[in-house]
Amino acid sequence: MKKKFWLLPLLACILMLTGCGKSVNDQSVLKNAKQSNTIVWGVKGDVKLFGLIDVRDGQQKGFDVDMAKHITKHILGPQGKAEFVTTTSQSRIPLLKNGNVDAVIATMSITPERKKIISFSKSYFDAGQSLLVPKNSSIKSTKDLNGKTVIGVVGANSVANIKKVAPKAKVIELQDYAQAMNALKSHQGDALTTDNGILFGLAVQNPGYEVRGGTFTVEPYGVAVNKGQTSFTEAVDKAVLEMQHNGEYNRLIKKWFGDVPGFKYKELYRR
Amino acid sequence: MSMIEFHNVQKFYGHFHALHDINLEIDQGETVVLIGPSGSGKSTLVRTVNGLESIQKGKLIVNGHDLSDPKTNLNILRSDVGMVFQHFNLYKNKDVLENIMLAPRIVSHIPEEENKKQALDLLDMVGLRKWAHNMPSQISGGQKQRVAIARTLAMKPKLILYDEPTSALDPEMIDDVLQVIKKVTNESGMTSLIVTHEMGFAKEVANRVIFMDQGRIVEDDDSESFFKQPKTERAQQFLSKIISH
Amino acid sequence: MINIFAKFSSQLLVGLGWTVLSSIIALFFSLIIGTIFAIMEVLPSKVMRVIGHAYVEIMRNIPLLVITMFFYLVIPMYVVKINGFTAGTIGLTLYTSAFIAETIRSGIQSVSNGQMEGARSTGMTYWQAMRYIILPQAFKIVIPPLGNQFVNLVKNSSVLAFVAGFDLMYQANSIASTTFDTINSYLVVGVLYLIVTLPISYYMRHLEKKLG
Repeated sequence: MKKKFWLLPLLACILMLTGCGKSVNDQSVLKNAKQSNTIVWGVKGDVKLFGLIDVRDGQQKGFDVDMAKHITKHILGPQGKAEFVTTTSQSRIPLLKNGNVDAVIATMSITPERKKIISFSKSYFDAGQSLLVPKNSSIKSTKDLNGKTVIGVVGANSVANIKKVAPKAKVIELQDYAQAMNALKSHQGDALTTDNGILFGLAVQNPGYEVRGGTFTVEPYGVAVNKGQTSFTEAVDKAVLEMQHNGEYNRLIKKWFGDVPGFKYKELYRR
Repeated sequence: MSMIEFHNVQKFYGHFHALHDINLEIDQGETVVLIGPSGSGKSTLVRTVNGLESIQKGKLIVNGHDLSDPKTNLNILRSDVGMVFQHFNLYKNKDVLENIMLAPRIVSHIPEEENKKQALDLLDMVGLRKWAHNMPSQISGGQKQRVAIARTLAMKPKLILYDEPTSALDPEMIDDVLQVIKKVTNESGMTSLIVTHEMGFAKEVANRVIFMDQGRIVEDDDSESFFKQPKTERAQQFLSKIISH
Repeated sequence: MINIFAKFSSQLLVGLGWTVLSSIIALFFSLIIGTIFAIMEVLPSKVMRVIGHAYVEIMRNIPLLVITMFFYLVIPMYVVKINGFTAGTIGLTLYTSAFIAETIRSGIQSVSNGQMEGARSTGMTYWQAMRYIILPQAFKIVIPPLGNQFVNLVKNSSVLAFVAGFDLMYQANSIASTTFDTINSYLVVGVLYLIVTLPISYYMRHLEKKLG
């Protein structure tokens, strides 16, 4: 019995040490990408319209994925390869920090808290947080949320936002959007909240549910990269700007959001 | 009045025919010893009497209860029919006193004080009062068997079945146990059915002897005549072998 | 690690509270349910044995998460609304009860048949024999493996995190995603789990020694 007690602090030390030592930040992501002619992107796998794994071919598909492909070509040239790693709201920052992915383009809002530990490109998509409710719901806007249960997803900032606009709402966090949607269907909550782009995707998949109450926050999506990778961030910004000028950007917007009922996709156009 | 009646009883274990057409009547107050080579069906026969083994054919009536009728409440029957096992089967989680007191308390609902007095008296009778608060694992085999007999007596049975009560004991323990059994059978007037290999003891205690072989009753005689000269050849052979040992 | 604990101590203690509460409820009911099914598995009645066996095999061969999701997502849709904590605790109870049933069944079967015959021959009913003679002996035999089941139960209660049950694991996910300090967030809850499970382990070992 005595023998076991020193194990605990030892274990803790080992775990902490492994957390401390790392050298990812020291290498230039852009230089490595150019050498390997590949950029590894973290994308969503469960978010319709942005990053959803197509069960038929196992490929991630969506606006974020297409953006990543285009940005890759702009940075590395027409032969440049984009590789995709599926991430969740919870895992995307750890995967980036560990160097498993070069960049994250996964419906990720640019927030001051996140900026403390990672860097962002300029916004490539202007989302805003909204609510998804059953069509027969009495909830019209965030004002009606007090006393209700709101479902969010772990790792998304939407949960913190809800606490600001409706302090008396009960918030539960689920693992991913699919589960959050299932929980809404099972009446575990009265509304699901996250960015409107994602919610419209869920509404497309689930007739009987609709997006309500407009947007009550501004959530500019950015490409996340590790701190210190200024050259890479600049390259991304340049690529996005080029896409806006030559119309590629608007074509992607129309491709993914043109058919979504109730979504004013033209407001997202950039020139 | 008869205590046990077997009428054309058959017992099978799958295809194995364990008891062949048993016809037997035992009267109240009789002490019957059941002998025979091992595997002859003695234990099986004794175990059918309190329903530990079921029978497949025939009629078996014990103390007025029909064991061939599936509706018969065996628990009521068993509270009047005690059994002493080869391996004692004392409750390992109860001390000696509790082993004796448990069934009177939860089956016959005897008042606790009376129950305790009876248990201690019984322990006196088998000479184990000072072991009352020991666990079964702390006493010897012979002592365990004496406790088991006391446990059986505590239910005031009309019939006691002994299934090879000394076979699992060291030789020096056997005598104490046999003395207790002798005392019980002589003093109480209870009916006893005893399976044993102890011929000297059988001769002393029994007023009737049944000899079994291959699942059948081969000979059924009063003790004196049987031990003088068995009628059948098989019983003669068996007896001569046992005694020459 | 200390920083995380200091900053989020109230959130972590709430999580610890839910974890402990869920574990205690699940422990209580899985012991009862497990014992019932263990007895069913050794009953003379073949129908009862089949039912008991079917329950045990189904519950222990489905992942805990599946059982829990069933109660969190399916039952509310068709039967009655149950929240994440309840769904998780029910899942945990049913799942654990199958393992407890197996443990107790093997305990009952390791009590020699003579104990049952001895009891029955004095006129005790099957249930009296079970209650006074067989089960007390069986429980004594299965205390060490039951202890393992209890520790597993506490660890498995982390399934609550997947159904918003507010337990330790849920808080860890939440803290990790707000602080982005993944390593220390999970280290803290790892230690908190140890604080619950180690005493159980040691107590069981102590009990085992005392009884053995």
